[in-house]
Amino acid sequence: MLMLAIEVRELVVSYRRWFKPPFRAVNRLSFEVQEGEIVGFLGANGAGKTSTIKTLMGFQPPSGGVVRIFGMDATDARARQLVGFLPETALYSPYLTPYETLRLYGELHGLRKHALHAQIEALLEAVNLAHKMHTLNKNLSKGMLQRVGIAQALLGDPKLLILDEVSSGLDPIGKRELRDLLASQRARGATIFFSSHELAEVASICDRILIIHQGVLIAQHRLSDLAGRVDSLEDYFIRTVQAGRDILDTEVHAA
Amino acid sequence: MTRTFQITRALMTAGLLETIRRKDLYVVLILTVLLVLGASAFRVFGVQGLEIFVKDVAFTAIGVMTTILTVLIAARQIPEEMQRRTIYPLMARPITRGQLLLGKWATAYFTASLCFLLLTLATLGLLIALGVPVKPIFMQYVLLKLIGIGWLCAMVVALSLYLTPAANVTLTLILAFGSGVFNRLLLMAHWEHGLNALWLNLLYGALPHYDYFDMSKKVVFDWDLAPWWVLGALAGYALLSGAAWLLIGWLKFRKQTIGS
Repeated sequence: MLMLAIEVRELVVSYRRWFKPPFRAVNRLSFEVQEGEIVGFLGANGAGKTSTIKTLMGFQPPSGGVVRIFGMDATDARARQLVGFLPETALYSPYLTPYETLRLYGELHGLRKHALHAQIEALLEAVNLAHKMHTLNKNLSKGMLQRVGIAQALLGDPKLLILDEVSSGLDPIGKRELRDLLASQRARGATIFFSSHELAEVASICDRILIIHQGVLIAQHRLSDLAGRVDSLEDYFIRTVQAGRDILDTEVHAA
Repeated sequence: MTRTFQITRALMTAGLLETIRRKDLYVVLILTVLLVLGASAFRVFGVQGLEIFVKDVAFTAIGVMTTILTVLIAARQIPEEMQRRTIYPLMARPITRGQLLLGKWATAYFTASLCFLLLTLATLGLLIALGVPVKPIFMQYVLLKLIGIGWLCAMVVALSLYLTPAANVTLTLILAFGSGVFNRLLLMAHWEHGLNALWLNLLYGALPHYDYFDMSKKVVFDWDLAPWWVLGALAGYALLSGAAWLLIGWLKFRKQTIGS
Protein backbone atom coordinates (compact mmCIF):
# COMPACT_ATOMS: atom_id res chain seq x y z
CA MET A 1 0.00 0.00 0.00
CA LEU A 2 1.28 3.46 -0.88
CA MET A 3 1.86 5.79 2.03
CA LEU A 4 1.86 9.54 2.26
CA ALA A 5 5.23 11.01 1.40
CA ILE A 6 4.19 14.44 2.67
CA GLU A 7 1.38 15.28 5.02
CA VAL A 8 0.69 18.91 5.92
CA ARG A 9 -2.20 19.70 8.27
CA GLU A 10 -3.29 23.23 9.20
CA LEU A 11 0.27 24.52 8.86
CA VAL A 12 0.92 28.02 10.13
CA VAL A 13 4.27 29.77 9.71
CA SER A 14 4.60 33.15 11.41
CA TYR A 15 7.56 35.49 11.67
CA ARG A 16 7.93 37.73 14.67
CA ARG A 17 8.55 41.40 13.96
CA TRP A 18 9.71 44.21 16.24
CA PHE A 19 6.84 46.49 17.32
CA LYS A 20 4.47 44.95 14.76
CA PRO A 21 2.08 42.01 14.81
CA PRO A 22 3.67 38.74 13.56
CA PHE A 23 3.70 38.24 9.80
CA ARG A 24 1.83 35.08 8.81
CA ALA A 25 3.61 33.67 5.74
CA VAL A 26 1.62 30.41 5.69
CA ASN A 27 -1.96 30.30 6.93
CA ARG A 28 -3.62 26.96 7.83
CA LEU A 29 -2.23 25.18 4.82
CA SER A 30 -3.22 21.52 4.32
CA PHE A 31 -2.23 19.13 1.54
CA GLU A 32 -0.92 15.63 0.96
CA VAL A 33 1.51 14.11 -1.50
CA GLN A 34 1.22 10.39 -2.21
CA GLU A 35 4.31 8.22 -2.62
CA GLY A 36 5.42 8.21 -6.29
CA GLU A 37 3.61 11.44 -7.24
CA ILE A 38 5.23 14.44 -8.91
CA VAL A 39 3.68 17.61 -7.53
CA GLY A 40 4.37 21.19 -8.59
CA PHE A 41 4.05 23.78 -5.85
CA LEU A 42 3.15 27.08 -7.47
CA GLY A 43 2.63 30.62 -6.31
CA ALA A 44 3.68 34.18 -7.03
CA ASN A 45 6.71 35.66 -5.29
CA GLY A 46 6.09 35.90 -1.53
CA ALA A 47 3.20 33.41 -1.64
CA GLY A 48 4.73 31.26 1.10
CA LYS A 49 6.34 28.51 -0.98
CA THR A 50 9.82 28.76 0.52
CA SER A 51 8.43 29.05 4.08
CA THR A 52 6.44 25.85 3.50
CA ILE A 53 9.48 24.08 2.08
CA LYS A 54 11.58 25.24 5.04
CA THR A 55 9.13 23.59 7.45
CA LEU A 56 9.06 20.42 5.32
CA MET A 57 12.84 20.25 5.67
CA GLY A 58 12.78 20.98 9.40
CA PHE A 59 14.70 24.25 8.94
CA GLN A 60 11.88 26.08 10.62
CA PRO A 61 9.61 24.75 13.36
CA PRO A 62 5.95 25.32 12.41
CA SER A 63 4.12 27.99 14.41
CA GLY A 64 1.07 25.71 14.26
CA GLY A 65 -0.17 22.54 12.62
CA VAL A 66 1.51 19.28 11.69
CA VAL A 67 4.10 18.46 9.02
CA ARG A 68 5.02 14.81 8.43
CA ILE A 69 7.45 13.17 6.02
CA PHE A 70 6.69 9.47 5.51
CA GLY A 71 4.81 9.55 8.80
CA MET A 72 7.70 11.10 10.75
CA ASP A 73 7.69 14.60 12.21
CA ALA A 74 9.53 16.89 9.79
CA THR A 75 11.76 18.21 12.58
CA ASP A 76 13.00 14.66 13.27
CA ALA A 77 16.46 14.26 11.68
CA ARG A 78 15.61 10.64 10.70
CA ALA A 79 12.95 11.90 8.29
CA ARG A 80 15.68 13.54 6.23
CA GLN A 81 17.32 10.16 5.62
CA LEU A 82 14.64 9.66 2.96
CA VAL A 83 14.78 13.17 1.48
CA GLY A 84 16.95 14.88 -1.13
CA PHE A 85 16.77 18.66 -1.12
CA LEU A 86 17.80 21.35 -3.58
CA PRO A 87 17.66 24.88 -2.15
CA GLU A 88 16.50 27.85 -4.20
CA THR A 89 19.96 29.36 -4.49
CA ALA A 90 22.53 26.63 -4.77
CA LEU A 91 25.68 27.90 -3.10
CA TYR A 92 28.42 25.56 -2.03
CA SER A 93 31.71 26.11 -0.27
CA PRO A 94 33.95 28.02 -2.70
CA TYR A 95 37.01 26.23 -1.31
CA LEU A 96 35.81 22.70 -2.09
CA THR A 97 35.55 20.90 -5.43
CA PRO A 98 32.28 19.30 -6.62
CA TYR A 99 33.73 15.90 -5.69
CA GLU A 100 34.63 17.05 -2.16
CA THR A 101 31.27 18.79 -1.79
CA LEU A 102 29.40 15.59 -2.65
CA ARG A 103 31.71 13.54 -0.43
CA LEU A 104 30.91 15.83 2.51
CA TYR A 105 27.14 15.58 2.01
CA GLY A 106 27.35 11.84 1.29
CA GLU A 107 29.25 11.20 4.51
CA LEU A 108 26.76 13.33 6.44
CA HIS A 109 24.04 11.22 4.86
CA GLY A 110 25.69 8.11 6.28
CA LEU A 111 26.93 6.66 2.97
CA ARG A 112 29.97 4.40 3.14
CA LYS A 113 33.29 5.17 1.42
CA HIS A 114 33.33 2.85 -1.62
CA ALA A 115 29.63 3.08 -2.42
CA LEU A 116 29.85 6.84 -2.00
CA HIS A 117 32.79 7.21 -4.39
CA ALA A 118 30.97 5.24 -7.09
CA GLN A 119 27.79 7.23 -6.55
CA ILE A 120 29.55 10.60 -6.72
CA GLU A 121 31.19 9.70 -10.02
CA ALA A 122 27.89 8.44 -11.47
CA LEU A 123 25.98 11.54 -10.34
CA LEU A 124 28.56 14.00 -11.65
CA GLU A 125 28.47 12.09 -14.92
CA ALA A 126 24.66 12.30 -14.95
CA VAL A 127 24.66 16.08 -14.45
CA ASN A 128 27.47 16.50 -17.02
CA LEU A 129 30.01 17.77 -14.54
CA ALA A 130 32.48 14.89 -14.46
CA HIS A 131 35.09 17.01 -16.25
CA LYS A 132 34.92 19.66 -13.50
CA MET A 133 34.99 17.15 -10.66
CA HIS A 134 38.24 18.52 -9.21
CA THR A 135 37.78 22.23 -9.99
CA LEU A 136 37.12 24.49 -7.00
CA ASN A 137 33.46 25.56 -6.73
CA LYS A 138 34.52 29.22 -6.81
CA ASN A 139 35.66 28.70 -10.40
CA LEU A 140 32.34 27.21 -11.55
CA SER A 141 29.51 29.11 -13.24
CA LYS A 142 26.07 29.55 -11.64
CA GLY A 143 24.60 26.86 -13.87
CA MET A 144 27.40 24.44 -12.98
CA LEU A 145 26.82 25.09 -9.27
CA GLN A 146 23.14 24.34 -9.81
CA ARG A 147 24.20 21.00 -11.30
CA VAL A 148 26.34 20.32 -8.22
CA GLY A 149 23.19 21.08 -6.22
CA ILE A 150 21.11 18.66 -8.24
CA ALA A 151 23.75 15.96 -7.80
CA GLN A 152 23.89 16.47 -4.01
CA ALA A 153 20.09 16.27 -3.83
CA LEU A 154 20.20 12.86 -5.53
CA LEU A 155 22.85 11.41 -3.19
CA GLY A 156 21.66 8.28 -1.40
CA ASP A 157 18.77 7.64 -3.85
CA PRO A 158 16.21 9.56 -1.78
CA LYS A 159 12.58 8.41 -1.78
CA LEU A 160 11.41 12.02 -1.76
CA LEU A 161 12.95 14.92 -3.65
CA ILE A 162 12.10 18.45 -2.53
CA LEU A 163 13.31 21.00 -5.03
CA ASP A 164 12.99 24.74 -4.57
CA GLU A 165 13.12 26.65 -7.89
CA VAL A 166 14.84 23.71 -9.45
CA SER A 167 15.69 25.10 -12.88
CA SER A 168 16.91 28.50 -11.73
CA GLY A 169 20.25 29.31 -13.36
CA LEU A 170 20.14 26.47 -15.87
CA ASP A 171 20.49 27.06 -19.60
CA PRO A 172 18.00 25.42 -22.04
CA ILE A 173 20.25 22.37 -22.42
CA GLY A 174 20.53 22.08 -18.65
CA LYS A 175 16.75 22.32 -18.32
CA ARG A 176 16.26 19.51 -20.83
CA GLU A 177 18.83 17.38 -18.97
CA LEU A 178 17.09 18.13 -15.69
CA ARG A 179 13.74 17.03 -17.12
CA ASP A 180 15.31 13.74 -18.23
CA LEU A 181 16.91 13.32 -14.82
CA LEU A 182 13.61 13.89 -13.03
CA ALA A 183 11.95 11.42 -15.39
CA SER A 184 14.55 8.82 -14.46
CA GLN A 185 13.92 9.55 -10.77
CA ARG A 186 10.22 9.07 -11.32
CA ALA A 187 10.94 5.79 -13.12
CA ARG A 188 12.73 4.46 -10.04
CA GLY A 189 9.67 5.39 -7.94
CA ALA A 190 10.84 8.60 -6.27
CA THR A 191 8.29 11.18 -5.11
CA ILE A 192 9.05 14.70 -6.33
CA PHE A 193 7.74 17.91 -4.78
CA PHE A 194 9.01 21.07 -6.36
CA SER A 195 8.37 24.77 -6.67
CA SER A 196 9.01 26.53 -9.94
CA HIS A 197 8.08 29.61 -11.93
CA GLU A 198 8.73 27.73 -15.18
CA LEU A 199 5.16 26.69 -15.88
CA ALA A 200 5.94 24.93 -19.17
CA GLU A 201 8.32 22.73 -17.25
CA VAL A 202 5.72 22.08 -14.56
CA ALA A 203 3.18 21.11 -17.22
CA SER A 204 5.59 18.65 -18.79
CA ILE A 205 6.62 16.86 -15.59
CA CYS A 206 3.89 17.05 -12.95
CA ASP A 207 0.96 14.81 -12.09
CA ARG A 208 -0.61 17.44 -9.91
CA ILE A 209 -0.25 21.11 -9.03
CA LEU A 210 -0.89 23.05 -5.84
CA ILE A 211 -1.30 26.83 -6.04
CA ILE A 212 -0.89 28.98 -2.97
CA HIS A 213 -1.42 32.67 -2.52
CA GLN A 214 -0.66 34.69 0.64
CA GLY A 215 0.03 31.42 2.44
CA VAL A 216 -3.37 29.93 1.60
CA LEU A 217 -3.98 26.99 -0.74
CA ILE A 218 -6.27 28.38 -3.43
CA ALA A 219 -6.30 25.52 -5.95
CA GLN A 220 -5.12 21.97 -6.48
CA HIS A 221 -5.66 19.93 -9.63
CA ARG A 222 -4.45 16.88 -11.43
CA LEU A 223 -2.97 18.13 -14.70
CA SER A 224 -4.93 15.47 -16.55
CA ASP A 225 -8.14 17.11 -15.25
CA LEU A 226 -7.08 20.51 -16.56
CA ALA A 227 -6.18 19.21 -20.01
CA GLY A 228 -8.68 20.52 -22.57
CA ARG A 229 -10.29 22.87 -20.03
CA VAL A 230 -7.59 25.54 -20.05
CA ASP A 231 -5.56 27.05 -22.90
CA SER A 232 -2.28 27.01 -21.04
CA LEU A 233 -1.09 26.44 -17.51
CA GLU A 234 0.26 29.98 -17.48
CA ASP A 235 -3.15 31.51 -18.23
CA TYR A 236 -4.80 29.28 -15.67
CA PHE A 237 -2.21 30.14 -13.04
CA ILE A 238 -2.58 33.91 -13.59
CA ARG A 239 -6.39 33.72 -13.50
CA THR A 240 -6.37 31.56 -10.37
CA VAL A 241 -3.94 33.80 -8.49
CA GLN A 242 -5.95 36.90 -9.51
CA ALA A 243 -9.21 35.27 -8.37
CA GLY A 244 -7.57 34.13 -5.13
CA ARG A 245 -6.28 37.64 -4.50
CA ASP A 246 -9.80 39.09 -4.97
CA ILE A 247 -11.37 36.49 -2.64
CA LEU A 248 -8.73 36.99 0.04
CA ASP A 249 -9.03 40.79 -0.24
CA THR A 250 -12.82 40.51 0.16
CA GLU A 251 -12.37 38.30 3.23
CA VAL A 252 -9.94 40.79 4.76
CA HIS A 253 -12.36 43.68 4.14
CA ALA A 254 -15.28 41.65 5.53
CA ALA A 255 -13.24 40.81 8.64
CA MET B 1 28.04 7.65 18.85
CA THR B 2 29.55 6.17 15.67
CA ARG B 3 27.21 8.34 13.62
CA THR B 4 28.23 11.49 15.51
CA PHE B 5 31.86 10.56 14.94
CA GLN B 6 31.23 10.06 11.21
CA ILE B 7 29.51 13.47 10.99
CA THR B 8 32.29 15.16 12.94
CA ARG B 9 34.99 13.57 10.78
CA ALA B 10 33.24 14.66 7.56
CA LEU B 11 32.91 18.26 8.79
CA MET B 12 36.50 18.31 10.05
CA THR B 13 37.90 17.12 6.73
CA ALA B 14 35.97 19.77 4.80
CA GLY B 15 36.89 22.46 7.34
CA LEU B 16 40.58 21.61 7.17
CA LEU B 17 40.58 21.73 3.36
CA GLU B 18 38.92 25.15 3.50
CA THR B 19 41.47 26.51 5.97
CA ILE B 20 44.40 25.27 3.90
CA ARG B 21 42.95 26.78 0.71
CA ARG B 22 42.10 30.11 2.33
CA LYS B 23 45.85 30.61 2.90
CA ASP B 24 45.36 32.57 6.19
CA LEU B 25 47.69 30.12 7.88
CA TYR B 26 50.63 30.82 5.56
CA VAL B 27 50.44 34.55 6.25
CA VAL B 28 50.55 33.95 10.00
CA LEU B 29 53.36 31.44 9.63
CA ILE B 30 55.48 33.85 7.59
CA LEU B 31 54.75 36.68 10.04
CA THR B 32 55.85 34.59 13.04
CA VAL B 33 59.06 33.50 11.33
CA LEU B 34 59.82 37.14 10.47
CA LEU B 35 59.19 38.23 14.06
CA VAL B 36 61.54 35.60 15.50
CA LEU B 37 64.18 36.31 12.89
CA GLY B 38 63.80 40.03 13.58
CA ALA B 39 64.27 39.47 17.29
CA SER B 40 67.30 37.28 16.73
CA ALA B 41 68.91 39.88 14.44
CA PHE B 42 70.47 41.44 17.56
CA ARG B 43 73.01 38.64 17.47
CA VAL B 44 74.32 39.92 14.18
CA PHE B 45 75.21 43.17 15.88
CA GLY B 46 77.11 41.36 18.62
CA VAL B 47 74.59 41.77 21.44
CA GLN B 48 74.93 38.62 23.58
CA GLY B 49 72.61 37.02 26.16
CA LEU B 50 69.43 37.74 24.32
CA GLU B 51 68.00 34.23 24.54
CA ILE B 52 65.25 35.31 26.92
CA PHE B 53 64.29 38.23 24.72
CA VAL B 54 64.15 36.07 21.57
CA LYS B 55 62.08 33.43 23.39
CA ASP B 56 59.74 36.09 24.78
CA VAL B 57 59.12 37.51 21.30
CA ALA B 58 58.67 34.03 19.83
CA PHE B 59 56.16 32.79 22.42
CA THR B 60 54.28 36.09 22.50
CA ALA B 61 53.98 35.88 18.71
CA ILE B 62 52.71 32.29 18.90
CA GLY B 63 50.20 33.25 21.61
CA VAL B 64 48.83 36.29 19.77
CA MET B 65 48.68 34.60 16.35
CA THR B 66 47.08 31.45 17.76
CA THR B 67 44.41 33.39 19.63
CA ILE B 68 43.53 35.50 16.60
CA LEU B 69 43.46 32.47 14.29
CA THR B 70 41.38 30.42 16.73
CA VAL B 71 38.81 33.18 17.17
CA LEU B 72 38.58 33.81 13.42
CA ILE B 73 38.30 30.11 12.55
CA ALA B 74 35.70 29.35 15.25
CA ALA B 75 33.67 32.52 14.64
CA ARG B 76 33.07 31.69 10.99
CA GLN B 77 32.03 28.04 11.40
CA ILE B 78 28.24 28.43 11.64
CA PRO B 79 27.60 32.10 10.62
CA GLU B 80 29.45 31.65 7.32
CA GLU B 81 27.34 28.57 6.50
CA MET B 82 24.24 30.68 7.18
CA GLN B 83 25.54 33.67 5.23
CA ARG B 84 26.46 31.78 2.07
CA ARG B 85 23.39 29.54 2.54
CA THR B 86 25.40 26.32 2.48
CA ILE B 87 23.61 25.53 5.76
CA TYR B 88 20.57 24.36 3.75
CA PRO B 89 22.12 21.34 2.00
CA LEU B 90 24.04 20.66 5.23
CA MET B 91 20.95 20.55 7.44
CA ALA B 92 19.01 18.68 4.76
CA ARG B 93 21.02 15.62 5.84
CA PRO B 94 19.90 13.30 8.63
CA ILE B 95 21.89 15.13 11.29
CA THR B 96 20.62 16.86 14.42
CA ARG B 97 21.48 20.43 15.28
CA GLY B 98 23.41 19.19 18.29
CA GLN B 99 25.55 17.00 16.02
CA LEU B 100 26.19 19.94 13.70
CA LEU B 101 27.18 22.18 16.62
CA LEU B 102 29.52 19.53 18.00
CA GLY B 103 30.94 18.88 14.52
CA LYS B 104 31.57 22.58 13.96
CA TRP B 105 33.27 22.93 17.33
CA ALA B 106 35.46 19.92 16.57
CA THR B 107 36.30 21.36 13.14
CA ALA B 108 37.35 24.68 14.67
CA TYR B 109 39.31 22.91 17.43
CA PHE B 110 41.10 20.56 15.05
CA THR B 111 41.97 23.29 12.55
CA ALA B 112 43.09 25.83 15.16
CA SER B 113 45.16 23.18 16.99
CA LEU B 114 46.87 22.23 13.77
CA CYS B 115 47.68 25.89 13.06
CA PHE B 116 49.08 26.25 16.60
CA LEU B 117 51.20 23.11 16.28
CA LEU B 118 52.57 24.25 12.93
CA LEU B 119 53.40 27.69 14.33
CA THR B 120 55.01 26.15 17.39
CA LEU B 121 57.04 23.63 15.41
CA ALA B 122 58.27 26.32 13.01
CA THR B 123 59.22 28.60 15.91
CA LEU B 124 60.85 25.78 17.86
CA GLY B 125 62.90 24.81 14.81
CA LEU B 126 63.98 28.40 14.40
CA LEU B 127 64.91 28.76 18.08
CA ILE B 128 66.97 25.57 17.97
CA ALA B 129 68.67 26.76 14.77
CA LEU B 130 69.52 30.03 16.53
CA GLY B 131 70.96 28.10 19.47
CA VAL B 132 68.27 29.22 21.95
CA PRO B 133 67.53 26.34 24.38
CA VAL B 134 63.99 25.32 25.44
CA LYS B 135 63.33 23.35 28.67
CA PRO B 136 60.90 20.34 29.14
CA ILE B 137 58.20 22.71 30.47
CA PHE B 138 57.71 23.52 26.80
CA MET B 139 55.76 20.25 26.44
CA GLN B 140 53.41 21.29 29.24
CA TYR B 141 52.98 24.66 27.54
CA VAL B 142 51.93 22.94 24.29
CA LEU B 143 49.54 20.59 26.10
CA LEU B 144 47.89 23.38 28.08
CA LYS B 145 47.60 25.59 25.01
CA LEU B 146 45.83 22.75 23.15
CA ILE B 147 43.35 22.43 26.02
CA GLY B 148 42.84 26.21 26.00
CA ILE B 149 42.21 26.27 22.25
CA GLY B 150 39.40 23.73 22.66
CA TRP B 151 37.87 25.85 25.42
CA LEU B 152 38.19 29.07 23.40
CA CYS B 153 36.58 27.41 20.35
CA ALA B 154 33.59 26.36 22.49
CA MET B 155 33.10 29.92 23.72
CA VAL B 156 33.41 31.50 20.26
CA VAL B 157 31.17 28.92 18.52
CA ALA B 158 28.49 29.38 21.21
CA LEU B 159 28.60 33.18 21.04
CA SER B 160 28.48 33.06 17.23
CA LEU B 161 24.85 31.91 17.58
CA TYR B 162 23.91 34.97 19.63
CA LEU B 163 26.04 37.76 18.17
CA THR B 164 26.87 39.08 14.71
CA PRO B 165 30.24 37.81 13.43
CA ALA B 166 31.92 41.21 13.93
CA ALA B 167 30.55 41.58 17.48
CA ASN B 168 31.55 38.01 18.31
CA VAL B 169 35.14 38.43 17.09
CA THR B 170 35.51 41.76 18.91
CA LEU B 171 34.06 40.50 22.19
CA THR B 172 35.94 37.21 22.26
CA LEU B 173 39.26 38.84 21.37
CA ILE B 174 38.73 41.35 24.19
CA LEU B 175 37.87 38.51 26.59
CA ALA B 176 40.81 36.38 25.43
CA PHE B 177 43.47 39.09 25.54
CA GLY B 178 41.86 40.93 28.44
CA SER B 179 41.62 37.87 30.67
CA GLY B 180 45.20 38.52 31.79
CA VAL B 181 44.00 41.50 33.81
CA PHE B 182 41.01 39.78 35.42
CA ASN B 183 43.20 38.68 38.35
CA ARG B 184 43.25 42.35 39.42
CA LEU B 185 39.75 41.60 40.73
CA LEU B 186 41.28 39.19 43.25
CA LEU B 187 43.64 41.94 44.44
CA MET B 188 40.69 44.29 44.78
CA ALA B 189 38.72 41.63 46.66
CA HIS B 190 41.67 41.22 49.04
CA TRP B 191 41.32 44.84 50.14
CA GLU B 192 37.53 44.75 50.36
CA HIS B 193 35.29 43.17 53.02
CA GLY B 194 31.88 41.52 53.23
CA LEU B 195 29.52 41.78 50.27
CA ASN B 196 31.95 43.76 48.14
CA ALA B 197 34.65 41.11 48.47
CA LEU B 198 32.12 38.35 47.74
CA TRP B 199 30.84 40.18 44.67
CA LEU B 200 34.37 40.69 43.31
CA ASN B 201 35.25 37.02 43.91
CA LEU B 202 32.07 35.89 42.18
CA LEU B 203 32.75 38.18 39.25
CA TYR B 204 36.27 36.79 38.96
CA GLY B 205 34.90 33.22 38.95
CA ALA B 206 32.18 34.00 36.43
CA LEU B 207 34.48 35.66 33.90
CA PRO B 208 36.02 33.40 31.22
CA HIS B 209 39.70 32.74 31.90
CA TYR B 210 41.73 32.11 28.80
CA ASP B 211 44.76 33.29 30.77
CA TYR B 212 44.69 30.03 32.75
CA PHE B 213 45.96 28.19 29.67
CA ASP B 214 49.06 30.30 29.04
CA MET B 215 52.42 29.06 30.38
CA SER B 216 54.52 30.99 27.90
CA LYS B 217 56.29 33.15 30.49
CA LYS B 218 57.28 30.02 32.41
CA VAL B 219 58.85 28.64 29.23
CA VAL B 220 60.63 31.93 28.56
CA PHE B 221 62.13 31.99 32.05
CA ASP B 222 62.98 28.24 32.04
CA TRP B 223 60.80 27.16 34.96
CA ASP B 224 60.74 23.57 36.15
CA LEU B 225 57.79 21.35 35.25
CA ALA B 226 54.51 22.36 36.86
CA PRO B 227 52.77 19.72 39.03
CA TRP B 228 50.61 17.52 36.80
CA TRP B 229 47.58 17.88 39.05
CA VAL B 230 47.49 21.57 38.10
CA LEU B 231 47.21 20.64 34.44
CA GLY B 232 44.54 18.08 35.36
CA ALA B 233 42.55 20.71 37.24
CA LEU B 234 42.82 23.11 34.30
CA ALA B 235 41.68 20.36 31.92
CA GLY B 236 38.68 19.83 34.22
CA TYR B 237 37.91 23.56 34.14
CA ALA B 238 38.16 23.57 30.33
CA LEU B 239 35.93 20.52 30.04
CA LEU B 240 33.19 21.80 32.34
CA SER B 241 33.28 25.39 31.20
CA GLY B 242 33.60 24.42 27.50
CA ALA B 243 30.64 22.01 27.79
CA ALA B 244 28.62 24.81 29.43
CA TRP B 245 29.41 27.14 26.50
CA LEU B 246 28.35 24.50 23.97
CA LEU B 247 25.14 23.92 25.94
CA ILE B 248 24.41 27.66 25.85
CA GLY B 249 24.96 27.61 22.08
CA TRP B 250 22.74 24.56 21.60
CA LEU B 251 19.89 26.11 23.62
CA LYS B 252 19.74 28.90 21.04
CA PHE B 253 20.45 26.80 17.95
CA ARG B 254 17.98 23.96 18.57
CA LYS B 255 14.91 26.14 17.86
CA GLN B 256 16.50 28.70 15.56
CA THR B 257 15.05 29.14 12.08
CA ILE B 258 17.80 28.14 9.67
CA GLY B 259 18.66 30.96 7.32
CA SER B 260 16.56 33.68 8.94
